[in-house]
Amino acid sequence: MKTAKISTYAIAFLIILSLNFLLPRMMPGDPLTAICGEEALIEMTPELRTELMHRFALDEPLGKQFFVYLTGIVRGDFGYSYYYNAPVLEVVLEALPWTLLLLGSSLILSTLLSIIMGIESGWRRGRNSDKSLLTATMIMNGFPNFFIGIVLLLLFGVYLGFLPLQGAKTPYSGLSGLNLMLDIARHLVLPLTALTLSQIPSSYLLMRNTMITTLKEPFVLTAKAKGLSEASVRYKHAGRNAILPIVTTTGVRVGIIVTGALFIEMIFSYPGVGLLIYNSLLMRDYPILQGAFFIVTVFVIVANFVVDSLYTKIDPRIGIDGVEHAH
Amino acid sequence: MHINYWKELKKNSFGKIGLAMLILVLIIAGLFPLLTRYDPGEPSHSALNPPSSEHWLGTNDVGQDIWSRLIYGARNSLLVALGVGLFTTLISTVAGASAALAGGLYERIMMRMVDALIAIPAFIVIILVAAYVLPNVWTLIFLISILTWQGGARIVRAQTLSLKERMHVYAARTFGANKRYISTRHIIPELGPILVAIFIHSATRGVFMEAGLAFLGIADISTVSWGLMMHYALKFYYLEVWKWWLLPTGLALSVTIMAFVFIGHAFETAMDPRLRVMEGEDWQC
Repeated sequence: MKTAKISTYAIAFLIILSLNFLLPRMMPGDPLTAICGEEALIEMTPELRTELMHRFALDEPLGKQFFVYLTGIVRGDFGYSYYYNAPVLEVVLEALPWTLLLLGSSLILSTLLSIIMGIESGWRRGRNSDKSLLTATMIMNGFPNFFIGIVLLLLFGVYLGFLPLQGAKTPYSGLSGLNLMLDIARHLVLPLTALTLSQIPSSYLLMRNTMITTLKEPFVLTAKAKGLSEASVRYKHAGRNAILPIVTTTGVRVGIIVTGALFIEMIFSYPGVGLLIYNSLLMRDYPILQGAFFIVTVFVIVANFVVDSLYTKIDPRIGIDGVEHAH
Repeated sequence: MHINYWKELKKNSFGKIGLAMLILVLIIAGLFPLLTRYDPGEPSHSALNPPSSEHWLGTNDVGQDIWSRLIYGARNSLLVALGVGLFTTLISTVAGASAALAGGLYERIMMRMVDALIAIPAFIVIILVAAYVLPNVWTLIFLISILTWQGGARIVRAQTLSLKERMHVYAARTFGANKRYISTRHIIPELGPILVAIFIHSATRGVFMEAGLAFLGIADISTVSWGLMMHYALKFYYLEVWKWWLLPTGLALSVTIMAFVFIGHAFETAMDPRLRVMEGEDWQC
């Protein structure tokens, strides 16, 4: 059964691989433009053209092209960006830490907040505090992530000027050590808030629902009957058991948060992979677009795989094929 | 047990507000010619004008009337909602129900495919494909649906499997009903509520993704799309124009998405709570 799981992710990886390979080659027009980007055309000489045609084996059959493409990826060669005048991998790796910082902190923060909010809300089901929290989150759920980002940008850009609106650190400031970390943290506040606000609603609703179901279970009654404190019943007994769906959906949430980061990075000009993808869309810089796309999707697939492999260990009741048995 | 979903929906306050918001958007989209005298695509020489009795929400950078673009944009979002909703539900139903009814190798292959697609961040893939294809509204509807049916298919399959085991389906089988009779007379009608839930969910996702793509600049420039309007308006956010250009457009988009989210929530609350099919399923992916 373990192989079934591995093959699922192998298929996902293959879909991404073939999409990345086929898309530029199936487009009408010159495949060389679609592979090298429009910037390459400016520098294109007949010699360079022949060399590139040869390098991507574009004059050979598709099978041979795919082989050349695969060996390139295995060697970590994702092509060359004529816009940045650097190898794609280098450009993407430079942007990746910022995205990981934004993504990681937002994932942790939104998960923790929605777990606490969900536990408290589920415990107080039907009371005013639960109703108002539910309503507020439902309204938040109606705002697309990029509009949340825009509202924060306008709010702080126009009325509250104390937080930086763009970038990840102050350029040419020569800061180091603790000051640099504070500077980075200050730049992180707005993008992180926007991304986290857009992530909370779905996790909160899930947590609240599971909490309500868990509170009906006999072991909660037992815990109460033993005379345990309310906080202990709420968190140690009910809350801990209600967390499971949040854990199992972590893989999917990583996918959503990556997409969210793309929009948020664009709005706040945060120099991560999302901004890189956005700029490559504007510049028709296809090598970067493809490389960044490949690395991001593979990252999400791996995250899904890791979560998928871990949660059967956390809760042995769940079958190999996952969530469906949890109901 | 039969539930009157319409009645339940109207009892739920989220349902009521959601319906009201959706009806508002529908009316505005429908009454477009009565609400403005400007062509939404017509540029003029008066660019970046503040609101006036001439132009209720001013004009944008190429002198188009923002109010008429705002209300005309509702049509685009509603069209995408309807298109993606219907098409995604159709693919999900065919894939999920056929897998559950046929079983065997076909089911295994189909569900392996679904699992693989669930692990892939669909919106990122859509962005990549759209960047190459530069889709119009119809190809966009097709593209979003063909890449986001997997979640629905999984739900339809699970529900079909459970329906297959119900007593009255067994009864029908003992009376000699064949597979086709059972699927058309029992399974598909009883999938109804689930399909409505998937439809609402997909429609929400369609509106969000179309706007998102256009916001990134991936759209046919001639379409009047809220996302595209926000894309251009964001470039001028440091000017005062955001008050009547960026903000109303974003609010219009949010009201539309919120309407679908509220209706979906109310509908699922009205269904058997154990069938909260979209629980943890995010329309942002």
